[in-house]
Amino acid sequence: MQRKIIHIDCDCYYAALEERDFPHLRGKPVAVGGQGPRSVLATCNYEARKFGVRSAMPGRMAKNRCPSLIVQPARFEVYRSVSEQIRSIFSRYTELVEPLSLDEAYLDVTDSTWFGGSATLLAEHIRAEIFSEVGITVSAGVAGNKYLAKIASDWNKPNGLFIVSPAKVDDFLVTLPVRKISGIGQKFSEKLASMNINTCGDLQQWSLPRLVEFFGKSGPWLYQRARGVDDRPVGGSGERKSLSIEHTFSQDRVNAQQCEQEILRLYEKLRERLNKKGSAPLKGIFLKVRYSSFKTQTIERNWGLTLESFQRLFQVRAENVEEGIRLLGIGVRFDNSVPEAQLSLWPQEDSNRI
Amino acid sequence: MIHFSLAREQLIKPLQLVSGVVEKRQTLPVLSNVLLEVEATELLLTGTDLEVELVGRVTLSEPAEAGAITVPAKKFLDIVRSLPDDSIITVKQDSERVIVSSGRSKFTLTSLPAVEFPSIEKSSDHEEYSIPQAQFGHLINATSFAMAQQDVRYYLNGMSLELSPGMVRTVATDGHRLAMSSRQVEGLNTAEKKQVIVPRKGILELNRLLTGGEETIQIYLGSTHLRATTSDFSFTTKLVDGKFPDYERVIPRGGDKEVVGDRQTLKSIFSRAAILSNEKYRGVRLILSSGNLIVKANNPEQEEAEVTVEVDYEGPELEVGFNVNYLLDVLNVISGEQVKFILSDANSSALITDFDDDATAFVVMPMRL
Repeated sequence: MQRKIIHIDCDCYYAALEERDFPHLRGKPVAVGGQGPRSVLATCNYEARKFGVRSAMPGRMAKNRCPSLIVQPARFEVYRSVSEQIRSIFSRYTELVEPLSLDEAYLDVTDSTWFGGSATLLAEHIRAEIFSEVGITVSAGVAGNKYLAKIASDWNKPNGLFIVSPAKVDDFLVTLPVRKISGIGQKFSEKLASMNINTCGDLQQWSLPRLVEFFGKSGPWLYQRARGVDDRPVGGSGERKSLSIEHTFSQDRVNAQQCEQEILRLYEKLRERLNKKGSAPLKGIFLKVRYSSFKTQTIERNWGLTLESFQRLFQVRAENVEEGIRLLGIGVRFDNSVPEAQLSLWPQEDSNRI
Repeated sequence: MIHFSLAREQLIKPLQLVSGVVEKRQTLPVLSNVLLEVEATELLLTGTDLEVELVGRVTLSEPAEAGAITVPAKKFLDIVRSLPDDSIITVKQDSERVIVSSGRSKFTLTSLPAVEFPSIEKSSDHEEYSIPQAQFGHLINATSFAMAQQDVRYYLNGMSLELSPGMVRTVATDGHRLAMSSRQVEGLNTAEKKQVIVPRKGILELNRLLTGGEETIQIYLGSTHLRATTSDFSFTTKLVDGKFPDYERVIPRGGDKEVVGDRQTLKSIFSRAAILSNEKYRGVRLILSSGNLIVKANNPEQEEAEVTVEVDYEGPELEVGFNVNYLLDVLNVISGEQVKFILSDANSSALITDFDDDATAFVVMPMRL
């Protein structure tokens, strides 16, 4: 059956709410983030983007690019409550809503009878309602699955709407850069480019067996995405996939001993949080290291949850040993293969499954 | 510098076992190597991943030059494997290289100095136990399937080994099911009960060393390590530092519904019904009534399986769900013809035993279906 999925993405959500609540900011370059010299911006508005400011950029670098940039402290409580307000608007039209974050959600409107069943008109209506009731603009993408809907919402951003109708999927994909596929990052796209795969059209030339040969487990996934196929239901698993803790140093660290001490501190915090959440089987652990150059490395292994494992992960990080370390993070990935319905021998030890 | 020759058949088995310990992904380059040491007429091969260490011992019949060096484990094993069965293999250090030759084949391998090869520090004080290999193998085989793999509760990622006067007991659990096995061991010299947790990898490697014969295995139990030796091997594993859960408490005592059935028959009906269970969660429903067991399964596509079998049961009707894999795991390690299930209600665990052997018991928690 042909599904109808809408992806809604708020435009510069945090910054938009700052502009909404503080009129003097309007039309000026605005970002939201920490105030410290080493803080990173959470987001910024389009005015700021004109200067080359981007989200996740260090505040100092952003200020260099755009001296008039106004960095507002984050007001997460506001962002959360507005997000709930927006979700309540979605719930007027469908129960099948999968929020991805505070400012992004998928809506399955396959069975909706609003506007004669037109997902396009419904998306326009929801955009208009959010604008009039909440006071910010959102962009929407409409397509037959989550993957294409997400690409579509980005197509006419900000304050835009784009539809990838089933009849147009093939034409749309031929020229669609593979980098647009959610899940293909810079590294992967570079690898694909080195094999002369730049668009989904290029990717379609590859047979499934060849894709599996070259990309292993990702092969079938690439094959499907190249053809615009994505069967994931809206609603997601709702399961927690990972838990992590990170720390940005006030000064870059080069000394391995200092880093190991930080790993110990993070480890204790992580254990504490895991204990609070109750226990669940793990799939593995990971370590995240961000260097002075902002290059970020994540090393993951299916090792047990011990301090030693994390220290070993830190040793695995063989490259860049000379470079300063800006941020360290550690975390665990959960194994969600055991269903909730499975009863436990020691229920008191895992009564709060994550 | 090290220089020795031996028959391929003497080398291949210890080398295979020792290489099995070596992890593919290594933090230290030397850990992907195997350590070769010759002293007098004895060759020692050592592999380690810092958690477990395995030393294989081979007696050389040809005169040899003493020495010690490390070579890449996988490559060395692949070379030895690829040579004809009746080959004589010569290994000779040539400054920083190691030359492996046999007949008209010659391989020059890189090496790393033996001093770089880490050894697991061994506890100096330990207690020593002697257990027949066949018994020890049985205890491990009956329970190891229930060990957790990568649980946050790290103490579940291993096996509890309990030694008390005249008895050895192993227990493993992943928090959803549990396996426990006890064996009388004549003259087990221990003054008091001792319980340690041997990590998963330690158990799996140890099990590969057991021959199942009459020979005994010596167990040396220190505070942080367990060492096990046979005439050919010396195996050391770190112990898991943690407290194993109170398993006695979860072994059901109050079950009033006793079912006895043929093990093979139950195995095949469970597997048959499982074809249409949820592929990920593997839930099946057991519907028990006097003389009859119905096993039902359905999947997200709403397909349904229903299989009925006669069992020895008298009592009220009971419907209870289980992960069918947990049941099959148990039926696979039981060796007797008849199995006994003791159940009480849909929220309580099942106690499963071999009808003729209650020294081994399995506990499986239900699934709410």
